[in-house]
Amino acid sequence: MVAPIYIIAAALGTAFTLGLLHKTGKTLPYVLMTLALGLMTFISLEWLLAFLIDGQKEEIIYTAGFKPPFSISLLMGKMEAVFISIVNTMAFLGSIYMARDLKNKGVNSMLIYLLLIMGLNVVIMTRDIFNLFVFLEVSSIATAGLLLIGGRKNAVSAGLKYLIATGTIAGFLLIGIIFFYYYAGSLSLDDIIASKESWISVGNIALLLVLLSVILELKPFPANGWALDVYQGANPGIGAIISASSATAMVYVLYKMMPLASEAWNYVIIGIGLLSFVASNIAGIKQTNAQRLLGYSSVGQIGLAVAIVGMHQWLGSGLMTILLAMLASHFLAKAGLFWLAGIVNKETTKEWGILRNKPVLLFLMGTFIFALLGFPPFPSFFGKWELIMSLSDLGQYGIVSLILIGSLFEAVYMLRWLGYAIKEDKEEAVNFSIHWEKFLPVGIVATALYAAGYFFGWKSGYSDWYKYMPLAFAAALFLLDFLPVYVKNSITLLGMGWYFFEMYTQYTGLKFVFFIIFIGGGLLIFLAGYYKKGKRVGFYPLAILMYAGLALMLEASNMLEFFFAWEIMTAGSYFLIIRGKKSMTHALNYALFSIGGAFLILAGFGITQAGKDGLSLELLYQVGSMSPYVFILLAIGFMTKTASMGLHIWLPGAHAEAETDVSPMVSAVLLKAGVYGLIITMISLGNQFIGGINIQVVLAWIGVLTALMGNMMAAFQEDAKRLLAYSSIGQLGYVLFGLALMSHLGWLTAISVAINHFLFKAMLFLAIGGVVLRTKTKYMYQMGGLIKKMPITFIVVLIGIITLSGVPPLSGFAGKWLFYNAILEKGWYLQGAVLFFAGVIAFLYCFRLIHTIFLGQLKDEHRKVKEAPFWLLLPQILVIVGIMVLSAFPNSILKPLGEVLYSYFPEGALSWNDQLANSIYGYWDGKMVLYVVVAIFASVFLWALIVTRKSQKVKQFNIVYAAERPFRPETTHFAYNFFAPFKKALGFLVYPGITNFWNRVGQSTMAGADALRKIYNGNGQAYVLHIVLFFIVVYFITAGGF
Amino acid sequence: MKFLSPEYISMAAGFLVILIGIWGILANKNLIRMIIGFSLFDTGIHIVMVAISYLKDRTAPIIDETINTQEIAKQITDPVPQALVLTAIVIGLGVTALMLVYAMKLHKEKKSLDITKFNDLKW
Repeated sequence: MVAPIYIIAAALGTAFTLGLLHKTGKTLPYVLMTLALGLMTFISLEWLLAFLIDGQKEEIIYTAGFKPPFSISLLMGKMEAVFISIVNTMAFLGSIYMARDLKNKGVNSMLIYLLLIMGLNVVIMTRDIFNLFVFLEVSSIATAGLLLIGGRKNAVSAGLKYLIATGTIAGFLLIGIIFFYYYAGSLSLDDIIASKESWISVGNIALLLVLLSVILELKPFPANGWALDVYQGANPGIGAIISASSATAMVYVLYKMMPLASEAWNYVIIGIGLLSFVASNIAGIKQTNAQRLLGYSSVGQIGLAVAIVGMHQWLGSGLMTILLAMLASHFLAKAGLFWLAGIVNKETTKEWGILRNKPVLLFLMGTFIFALLGFPPFPSFFGKWELIMSLSDLGQYGIVSLILIGSLFEAVYMLRWLGYAIKEDKEEAVNFSIHWEKFLPVGIVATALYAAGYFFGWKSGYSDWYKYMPLAFAAALFLLDFLPVYVKNSITLLGMGWYFFEMYTQYTGLKFVFFIIFIGGGLLIFLAGYYKKGKRVGFYPLAILMYAGLALMLEASNMLEFFFAWEIMTAGSYFLIIRGKKSMTHALNYALFSIGGAFLILAGFGITQAGKDGLSLELLYQVGSMSPYVFILLAIGFMTKTASMGLHIWLPGAHAEAETDVSPMVSAVLLKAGVYGLIITMISLGNQFIGGINIQVVLAWIGVLTALMGNMMAAFQEDAKRLLAYSSIGQLGYVLFGLALMSHLGWLTAISVAINHFLFKAMLFLAIGGVVLRTKTKYMYQMGGLIKKMPITFIVVLIGIITLSGVPPLSGFAGKWLFYNAILEKGWYLQGAVLFFAGVIAFLYCFRLIHTIFLGQLKDEHRKVKEAPFWLLLPQILVIVGIMVLSAFPNSILKPLGEVLYSYFPEGALSWNDQLANSIYGYWDGKMVLYVVVAIFASVFLWALIVTRKSQKVKQFNIVYAAERPFRPETTHFAYNFFAPFKKALGFLVYPGITNFWNRVGQSTMAGADALRKIYNGNGQAYVLHIVLFFIVVYFITAGGF
Repeated sequence: MKFLSPEYISMAAGFLVILIGIWGILANKNLIRMIIGFSLFDTGIHIVMVAISYLKDRTAPIIDETINTQEIAKQITDPVPQALVLTAIVIGLGVTALMLVYAMKLHKEKKSLDITKFNDLKW
């Protein structure tokens, strides 16, 4: 094995040699430098492997042949090996990335680059605090030198700010070090730690200066303006190294220093770290410059790392795994994004729209951003999970909520940026070239992210291969993305079909119902996928990602698996939604509500497992005194997915703007994930009371109001898809209400409404999607008279709305009938009355779908409209068959469902007599009702055929109406603002109060962020003042350094 | 450390110079003056370092014929801080030189040495 001292020797030797090579051209020095970095990387990785595999013992390197305190010693331990491996690998990749820049700038820049990396290596390994100071200064001077060489606009002034800030910090560090020597009599870190008892009472000022200097190098809020300017101004390659290598090295230095500190310091360090994390992420949301945005995110992530280091006594042996998981996501993704910034070469985040020309780069950007946000399968997901669980065990719920709030703010600006890259309209289609040496490192770090994610998953006990199979399927589709739609669609159907037949025997009870909705529904809607021509770039991997999440959610046996699946599903559906037209903001809203909801669920899980063994979902049954809070957290978390009132504002836009076959996926299928979550919550936690109020009553009211509001909003829409979207909100309100009844009939209703909603919403969205596809408009008043042009679609919509509105004979009526039984049984008459009213409103919007689209006058521009494509119609017809079966044989589903529910709610079950259901209030025979209605319909139809035999066919503009002559179809088809009178009467009820509320939340957060970031006024002197004040304030907070 | 002993006075002087240096950095808008402030800041630290290593009635840690090699530890002052000071001075020199280069570059950019003029990167 190569001795670690050769790392330093290689760097120094090559640097000196480079100094002599000014006249030999640029390539030879560059090759030498890369070789040196390669050698350094090799040595560090060799050591790392030896530690990991062979159980290598740590080794101390004494310089100059003496032992400390007479010489400087370097330590090569496991952790040192990890950190120098990170630093050197990133530096090596960075040198490849910057090949062109470094060659352009000449030999000096290569020399400085080597020195910077050498400095960082020594900083990690050294056990001598003065040596630490020296090599910190070496790194700082080298960094400042690299910044001087230039980068973006104003790089030089950024470099100056960096230099004076780090110069000030170094001065204080030096004072601290000399006083350590004075009090402890040694510069060796190990000696100082060993003699802690002798100096701890007097040497507190030395400790304060040293600790704070190290922390200040980690850019804590608010003394970090210099760092942000550097991130913004630096050459992206340098920014990547500062963010990835330098910051990572400094985190380790802080870790190394922690044994010096007394316990009270831990709290200060946690506080400083969390403040940085939250404040930087808030300030970041106003940011429009891409590199500065990365700066804010960097500062935030490192702040979190500082806080984690401060928790070393709480986290114990788990600390390093958590820290490394968080850092791995940080340095890989951040370096990747900085490098991407160099490739894109655009200043503002909006200009990143040009990335759309390069799907691979877009994919990499998505990878990096989701890794930073802590989505699975990336390392930070597992890091965050372990962190939140550990903190919950300790009862540190305040810290948990701060971490989650900070993460949510980070999601705001990161996803907005991603949204710009995916969707923002660009003025010109710029095609830019990518040099392979710039692309290669980005690809490598992205791959490393996935590998590291698997590694940390394995550490957290999430490593079974079959749990990654659905993800692997999505990845395979990504690789096959060059194939045409019909091939990919067939592969998807085959894959999902195989999964369906493989798994459907595995599930029973409620899980089986949701399995059918998720996977069976998915198959059904994928059938429609054949209607698309071309390649449909990126669609299949993302759609499968969503279904993978849903499938894994059903498979999940513990909370980690559940949360993993939940986040996978959120990520997949986010990408599906953002594919729609004009859906940038809607997708962002969806993602933010979903992430916020997911964090609530995470917190709920944290409380649940606190102080218990394992992570099983069964633990939800035994939460104890905290259960009302867990219940609220989980319920709100899941209600973000069911779009209950207050949390619904993302839904209409997201569903309405989505592609034709995506709308049913995110509506008919995806919303049920929230229902599934609610069901798990309610089954395991039951009725919960807080302050004497039954939370279920509150949920029931939310459900009632959601139904009312959703239906009313639907009635006043002009956009057909938006109408359906609001109708989903209303229907999910019914479901929530039914579940909140906490009775047998209530749940039977809720689940049958959920099933029905799945059926008719899939059908209606596909049907209306077909109409939109053909008429090229979503506005109903621009349609009309399509009954003859699209007869099959008309029948589908007719059946759909009959089912939806719950009139006999179709299966929707079962829901209604059960509903009123359940309400009567519970005695919630007021809620029942409101729901009844909401049901009446549902007729209004259902009527519009038929009247405005299919009846009335055909518009001139639609005279050549054809029926919807076969592949869109096929799933609709299959659904009709399903609805007919369920309507004729209601016991085929309600009876087994009732048996399932019997185990949870034994009282009040229906009794069945063939297709005749009996409740205590009455009976209902689905088959008989169907027969009777069909018989009446058939006889009226026949009679009409007979009496209209002699009638004469009339052309559209034949004057049969009145004294006026309609020249244009619009004048005889009243369609726009159809329910104007109702709107006048009841419009105040649909005043967009909730949307306005969330807008105000958004605006005030933005305003707060703007105010917060004003402290970074760009003046280098002010930044120095911040640093000095930082020392002074902490001095007083710690009463002179504890 | 006795009041008004040589090490006390030099230590106090050192801190005074440090404070003057910090004041110089914070109160001057001119870059060159700020850099002088940094130099003072560094110098103050160096004085403090030397003051810390001072031991009464001892000689400099240079081994020559006047020193009895048997009792060397009792005759010379602590050599470590003096070695540190040398290193610190070198580093300080490097930093100062780099700062001056920056000042030069910035002056070329905007024909000004006023630090408040270089706040294009902010917020």
